[in-house]
Parts: sequence; C-alpha cells; structure tokens
Amino acid sequence: MTPAERPLSPHLQIYRPQLTSVLSITHRGTGLALGVGAIFFVWWLSGAAWSDACFNAAQAFWGSWLGKLFLLGWTFSLFYHLLNGVRHLLWDVGIGFDLRSTYRTGWTVVVCSVLLTVFAFGGGLYAWGSP
Amino acid sequence: MSGAAVRHWRAQRISALGLIPLMLWLVESLLAHLGEDRVQIQAWLGQPIPAALAAALIGVTFFHLALGVRVVLEDYVHTPGRLAAALIANRVACWTLALVALAAVATLAFGF
Repeated sequence: MTPAERPLSPHLQIYRPQLTSVLSITHRGTGLALGVGAIFFVWWLSGAAWSDACFNAAQAFWGSWLGKLFLLGWTFSLFYHLLNGVRHLLWDVGIGFDLRSTYRTGWTVVVCSVLLTVFAFGGGLYAWGSP
Repeated sequence: MSGAAVRHWRAQRISALGLIPLMLWLVESLLAHLGEDRVQIQAWLGQPIPAALAAALIGVTFFHLALGVRVVLEDYVHTPGRLAAALIANRVACWTLALVALAAVATLAFGF
C-alpha cells in the first residue's frame, strides 16, 4: 500500500523563521557539512599514508581558493556544531530549557562560533602565509 | 526492537561528549601542522600519542556521523524501500571510510 500524499508538519512554507528553528536546522546542516569534510580528511590522510600524488593533490586543493572556502565552511561548521552540541547536551540534563535562556544561549553560540572561526581561520591563513 | 531508539539517543550523546576534546585536539593539531609536507606529517602521526588520538577521533567521528545521518534519512526519506537502502548505504559508507582512515593511521604509526 502506498502512503497517502498528506502535507507534512511543520508547514515550512508558511512558518516564520525564528532563531530557535534556524539554529536547529543549522545544527543539522553543519553536521552534514562536517560529514563531507570527514571524507576529504580521509582523502588527505590516505595520501599521507600511501601516495605522494594523492597527498599533493589534497594539499594543492587546500591551497586553492575553493579549498580555502571549503576550509572556512568546515571551520565554522565545526565550532558551531561543537558549541550548539554542548547546548543540546545541557538541554538533555535540563539546563537552559526556558525560552529566555534558549534565546540567550542561541545568540551566544552564534557569536562565539563566528569569533572562533575568525581567530582559527585567520590565524591559520597568517601562519600559512608566513611559515 | 524496543530500546533501540533509547540506545541510539544515548550513543549519540556519549559520542558527542567524546568528540568535544577530540575536535579541539584536531583544530589545534591542524593549525600546528599547517602546510607541512608528507614527510613531516608522517613524522607527526608516526608518534604513538598523536596516532592513538587520531584513531580515537576517526572511530568516534564516523560512529557519531552514522547516527546523525540515520536520523536525517529517517526524517526525509519517506518511501520504506528507499529508506532501507539509504540506511544500509549510510552504514556501509561510514564503516568503509572509518576502516580506510584507521588503516592509514596504522600505516603511519607502524610504518608498514
């Protein structure tokens, strides 16, 4: 039997985005982005273990502007998913579950993950430029 | 299958806790070894502690990734047959990537 074609809730087309829902879907999005990053990491690690050609290709990719853009995205994804993950773990033990705290910790996660991304990625670019 | 959802929930949280220190170590390590050539990376991961931490990072990361992707698939794939295939593909992909990465770390650590 094929399932009936019913609309699924929440009805995102008519639902006003809020900080809570945006941060929730961003957690999922950054998690998937980190999964893609993990594949690239295995590519680079395999090169280090077994193949000059593979390792050099991976290094050349990180050096390209597209590679740097990916690294920037992964840096942000890592810090965001890490910090928001801690927020989830605190919720799981019953901390910060009221609306006021949820918004306050939400904005804290956004600001801190942007700052950490700027520091880590900026520091990395600086160190790479002047070894 | 009662209890499977609770096990999934708990495994996701425990692996998340483990990933906190491991990911901080990864960021610190990648910044410290930025731009190094293959010989330098081999020398770094040829040491026992970095190799052990890298192995732990790989194991916990792909375990946590498999759990997370499973939830995403269960949310968005609504055809039972396709969902079953996607869940198997997810497990196969995560296992394969983890085993390849662990073999790479073993090669670097023991110099096969």
